[in-house]
Amino acid sequence: MTPSEVSLIVIDDVQAMRVQVKEILRACGFEKIRSASNGLEALRMMAEEVPHIVICDWHMAPMTGLELLKEMRTKAETKEIAFVMLTAEGTRERVMEAVKAGVDEYIMKPFTPDVARLKVIGALIKRKVF
Amino acid sequence: MSPNREDKLKEFITELAGFARDAEQVLQRIESDPHGNKHEFSRFSEVMIAIRGTAVQLSLSSIAEVAGLGEEIAVKGPGVEKGSQIKKCVAALWDALTTVKYGLENHGGSSESSEEQDILKNRLQATLKSLGGARETVSADEIERLLRGQN
Repeated sequence: MTPSEVSLIVIDDVQAMRVQVKEILRACGFEKIRSASNGLEALRMMAEEVPHIVICDWHMAPMTGLELLKEMRTKAETKEIAFVMLTAEGTRERVMEAVKAGVDEYIMKPFTPDVARLKVIGALIKRKVF
Repeated sequence: MSPNREDKLKEFITELAGFARDAEQVLQRIESDPHGNKHEFSRFSEVMIAIRGTAVQLSLSSIAEVAGLGEEIAVKGPGVEKGSQIKKCVAALWDALTTVKYGLENHGGSSESSEEQDILKNRLQATLKSLGGARETVSADEIERLLRGQN
């Protein structure tokens, strides 16, 4: 599979951040990028078309990134989707929660385009999309 | 600063100013009923982390630092019992929010810290210390080790 065939959902409640992440992904050759402003909206999108990977902020309402991750890992159709948390949340307790819930990669803000690219590709390799 | 970065910065700042207004309303609700609404400190901390995350990404380090202190103080808020301590939290958070808003409104492409901001940061740090201090954080390297250990 090539990057242009990979389907992604970018989830962040800050629109300008969604735009920035999408720009980085496009520069890496990804084309099929959808975006959502919270976990609930992302779940609805997944019901329409299952993505290969989600890149998700943590703190959002009405459904946080962690809640979305846990929900995805309980459902057969979404449990194998690569999940990258992209957040400023760096407390030990919270990071451990994400690891236990099955996050594939974790990107701390601030991030560089190179780090984002490496983590996204790493998650896709781990989930055998590439 | 390149025109492209300047435009992006303006977009971010406009959006974050909306978040800051939301935080202002949260503080007003807590002030109106400190014990009844202290759970809303959590909402304030969520707004602060959104501002911090975006500010740190834009290298607006001073805004990010104040938002981070506000976030940590707000995290302690719901657990505070004494009315005087709740008031202390609210006062500190008004200071943090006012500074964040000022920083957003007058970014001017600069993330330089003024003497007044340094005094405020010291005050916020003292308040946070009196509430038990900031939560433990992990580095990117440690997160990597945690992920590899799990998988």
